[in-house]
Amino acid sequence: MVKFGIEFVPRESYWKIMYYVIQAERGGFSNLWMTDHFINRNVYATLTTAAMFTNKITFGPGVTNPYMVNPVFTAQAIATLDELAPGRVVLGMGPGDKTTLDSVGVEMQKPLAAVQESIDIIRRMVSGETVAYQGEVFRTAGAKFVFKTRGRIPVYVGAQGPKMLALAGKIGDGVLINASHPKDVEYAVNCVKEGVTAAGKKYSEIDVAAYTSFSVHEDINKANKAAARAVAFIVAGSPPQLLERHEIDVKKAEEIKEALKANDWGRAFSGVTPEMISAFSVCGTPDTCIERIADLLKSGISQFVVGSPIGANVREAIKLVSEKIIPHFKA
Amino acid sequence: MDYDRLVSFIPAAKREMLSDKLVDVILASKNDEKMPSRLANTMLQYWQRDVLESESGMAVLLEAAITLEPEKAIGALNELQVRDAAELIKATLTS
Repeated sequence: MVKFGIEFVPRESYWKIMYYVIQAERGGFSNLWMTDHFINRNVYATLTTAAMFTNKITFGPGVTNPYMVNPVFTAQAIATLDELAPGRVVLGMGPGDKTTLDSVGVEMQKPLAAVQESIDIIRRMVSGETVAYQGEVFRTAGAKFVFKTRGRIPVYVGAQGPKMLALAGKIGDGVLINASHPKDVEYAVNCVKEGVTAAGKKYSEIDVAAYTSFSVHEDINKANKAAARAVAFIVAGSPPQLLERHEIDVKKAEEIKEALKANDWGRAFSGVTPEMISAFSVCGTPDTCIERIADLLKSGISQFVVGSPIGANVREAIKLVSEKIIPHFKA
Repeated sequence: MDYDRLVSFIPAAKREMLSDKLVDVILASKNDEKMPSRLANTMLQYWQRDVLESESGMAVLLEAAITLEPEKAIGALNELQVRDAAELIKATLTS
C-alpha cells in the first residue's frame, strides 16, 4: 500500500511548521521530509523539534548533501535524532544543487562519488565502527563516535539524472525521485531498477518515492496559482531535453528564467503555462490529484511525497489530503 | 489580559468554530516575531494533545491571536457574535 510523505521548507517560524507537522501526522502521513538549505532555518534543529511534537511519523532531511556538511557531522546529527526518536529517523542524501553550492563557493565535485562515499561513511559511523576511509572525495582517519549509536538508519538517495538514479537503486534503502509527471517518474523508476539489478537486490526491497511539487485546492484556479510559483523555479532549472520531453517551449522557459534572475516575480509566475504546471507538479482539486497519483502509482512507486507548495493554504491543503486523498488509497 | 475570563464569554457551542478561525488568524499572521516561544510551545502542546478547543486551549489560542493580530482576533469574535469578549479585548487594548 502506498505511503504518503510530506515535505516542509523551514522558512517559516518553527511553530507554524510544527503545527502542520502535528496535523500531518494526525492526518495519516507516514513520512516527514524537511528540506536542507542554508538560507532557511536549520534542518536538524527543526527535525529535533518535530521529534518532540510527534510520536509515530518517520522523518529525516529531504535532502541534505555531502558538500555543505561533512558526512561525519551528518552521521552525528541523524544518530542523535535516532536516540531521540528511536526507529523513526531516515536520511535523505543527494548531490545538492549547483546554484546553492556556487553561492557559498563550494564546488560540486564528482557528485556520484561524493554521494556514494558519504553514505558509506555515514552508515559505518552510525553502526558504531571506527572509520578509516580513503575515497575520491572524502577521507577519514579512524573517525568514531564516543557515544553508543542505535545502529542502521535507512538512507534514501535523492536523484534526478539517470546515473544518480541508478546509484540510488544500487545503494539506497530508498529513492527520492525528484519528479511529478508519470513520464518522468516511469523513466526514473527504470533507471532505479537498473541499479537495483546491478546490486543483486529486489526492487520491492527499497522504498521508491515520487517527491513531487504538489498543490491542492477545491478551487482549481487557487491550486494553479500556488503551483505556478514552484513550477516557475523548476522550469527555470530544467535542462532543454526535459522541457522537450513535455513539449514545453524552451524559449518560454528561458523567459521565465530571465524574469526570476531579475527578481521580476510577476512576470516569472505569469509566464507559467498550464502545460508547465501539468509537467512539473501534481496540482488541482482533490479528485484531479487522486487521478494523477493513481497514474504515478502505475510506475511502481511506493511513497508519494506531497511537496511544496502543498497548497494555497497549507492547513486547508493538508486537511484535503488527509480527508479526501489518503483515504482513497487506503480503502 | 484575563484570558480565562475571555473564554467564559464564549458559548461551548461556538468553541470549535472560533478555534478554527483563531488558528487561521495565527497561521496567516506575518507578525511571527511577536509570538513568545513560551506561548508557541504551549499552543503546540495543546494541539499535539488535540485539546485546543478546551477552555484552557481556547485561552492559549486567544492569547496567541491577540498577541499577533488583535484586530483580526476581535473580528473573529464579532463574526461569531461573541461581542462581550470582543468588547473586553478592545477595552483592555485601549486602556
